[in-house]
Amino acid sequence: MSEPIIRTRGLSKRFGDFTAVDALDLAVEPGTIFAFLGGNGSGKSTTIRMLIGILEPTAGEIRVDGIDVVHTPRRVRDHIGYMGQKVSLYQGLSLRENVEFYAGLFGLAGAALERRWGALRERFDLAAAEGRRPEDLPAAIRQRAGLALSMLHEPRVLFLDEPTAGVDVRSRSLFWDVIQEEAAGGTTVFVTTHFVEEADSCDWVAFIDAGKLIADAPPEALRERFSDGYRVTVRGGDPRAAAAALTAAGLAVESAPDAVRGTAPGLPPGALAELERLRARQPDAHVEVQQPAMTDVFRRVLTDAPRPA
Amino acid sequence: MSWQRLRTLLRREARASLRDPFTVGILVAVPLLAMVLFGFVLSTEVHGLRLAVLDGDASPASRRLIGDLRATGAFTLVPVRSRDEIELGLVDGRLGGAIVVPPGFGRDLAEGRTPEVNAIYDAAEAVLAGNAEGYVRGVVAATGARLAVRRPASGGGIAVVTSVLFNPTLAGVPFMVSGTFGFVLSFLAVLITAVTIVNERMAGTFEQLQVTPATTLEILLGKLLPMGGVFALDIALMMLAAGLLLGVWPNGSAAFFWIVSALYVLTTLSMGLIFSATSATAAEAVQKTVIFSIPIVQLSGFAFPIRNMPGWLQWVTECFPATHYIRISRAIYLRGEGPLDLWPELLILAAFGALQVTVALRTMGART
Repeated sequence: MSEPIIRTRGLSKRFGDFTAVDALDLAVEPGTIFAFLGGNGSGKSTTIRMLIGILEPTAGEIRVDGIDVVHTPRRVRDHIGYMGQKVSLYQGLSLRENVEFYAGLFGLAGAALERRWGALRERFDLAAAEGRRPEDLPAAIRQRAGLALSMLHEPRVLFLDEPTAGVDVRSRSLFWDVIQEEAAGGTTVFVTTHFVEEADSCDWVAFIDAGKLIADAPPEALRERFSDGYRVTVRGGDPRAAAAALTAAGLAVESAPDAVRGTAPGLPPGALAELERLRARQPDAHVEVQQPAMTDVFRRVLTDAPRPA
Repeated sequence: MSWQRLRTLLRREARASLRDPFTVGILVAVPLLAMVLFGFVLSTEVHGLRLAVLDGDASPASRRLIGDLRATGAFTLVPVRSRDEIELGLVDGRLGGAIVVPPGFGRDLAEGRTPEVNAIYDAAEAVLAGNAEGYVRGVVAATGARLAVRRPASGGGIAVVTSVLFNPTLAGVPFMVSGTFGFVLSFLAVLITAVTIVNERMAGTFEQLQVTPATTLEILLGKLLPMGGVFALDIALMMLAAGLLLGVWPNGSAAFFWIVSALYVLTTLSMGLIFSATSATAAEAVQKTVIFSIPIVQLSGFAFPIRNMPGWLQWVTECFPATHYIRISRAIYLRGEGPLDLWPELLILAAFGALQVTVALRTMGART
């Protein structure tokens, strides 16, 4: 396991008597997508604002890409990209002028800017919007432009605070494609989202509730722990062969008049391979796999996860 | 109309208003402040004006006149020995006026002639000079009448010859023109900048700016300098308008006035940025600006003479950069003074500027 690129220890933030974030310990591996989930007012945005150095913690340590963010918050700015909940485009300036403005602050100009922006413009389908002002653009395009701007200077760590809030399904899908491409290219992505299902696109998921970290694991591990597990239903074909295959895949099998059903906390690659073999041997059999919805996992986490003292 | 609905609306409005300390503060403090301050500054009475007295006669009659002037309570008398001393005191602001009793004053009065006392004012403070002159004339006339009654042989009483420095016609326009720079630059510059950061914060762009490598100083200058440039142009246009339309040109160096004004703008723009950085909404920033402008109008000497205010209030007025800027503005416009005459005021203004820019830097760069 490599050294975490984001690490917090005992990170806390209090506003008067209200504790927004309470002794948070996080570790994010480089090049991964880290989903930070929680309800409204749970402390997600407060945490992200502390991680990017614009909110001073009450207590605790933060290191991002080796930089002590608590004591030297300015130093982290060259290493990170950030997209907040509000899309940060200046009204009255065209999208192109916004790009030049932010690029200028990062010292990006000339051919380097053209090369980088040209690639992002293509990737985010922004060519037609380039000459228009943000106030004249649909929300989804503004959001895409905001994400593109946060990546303009090729940051090592990308912080995204609810990047898909208020955007259409097509744009959400595009966002996640881009985020996964960035992570594949080595960028670490720290993302908060209200769309709990989006956690499935991430390598690691942390749940925060009332400022406390209540779950911190890969999505599949959370599914195993906080759901009734996968359900596999086989209809048609030879029920005995189906039951044998499900048993071999590690599922607890129950027979019904119309189908063979199996359940398991998780479906490891070996189990999936067994189901594929069943499908190949019995073409008449219809195999249906039901993955526990992440929304249900989230609900279960909120009710069942032990709270740290 | 439903009384129940109206009651519901009234209750909500009252609760919302009373739970906002800022609104309550404005509702209670501003009317009280306005009443007290206007009471002090709008009075046409003269209180404790420092009046130099050059008694060239030192006779019982001249002492009587001086005693009567003191007895009014309107003046704090400052004995001087020469006219040079008077002029110096008027220029540096230690004196608000002077009265010169000529040699032979008592003798002339006793012999039935009408002696002339000379009243001298700094007419750059046109309002104050007008008020003070009225008082002096009243006291001198009353004293002259009493002395004439005692000495039936004397017939004429005492005449007052008025001399004014710096604004011989006691014209109000130059006084107001030179003060207007202070009002416009103090109020408008603050108002324009007061909404900039708060608007950016509400739009999300300020947060984005904070995570770029731009330093707080760069962000501050990025806001101050373009706005300062616009106001520098405004100052030049105002100077031209005052000259061409009102016939009021600076008696001193126009370039010096323009430079001082442009630097003063950076001070007021910083104040606007402080309001902006400490406000949650644009409306709150505007409210702060309006409250800030009340003392500018009342206490900075823009319209009402500071030297006519109670002593403690005069000290308060020194806490406003606008007071010093308006003083400099009038000194250049009306008295034609330059950097060598004005360096103490310039230093104070520079100190205010440095302080306000520093506070603006700290408030803008603060991690909440």
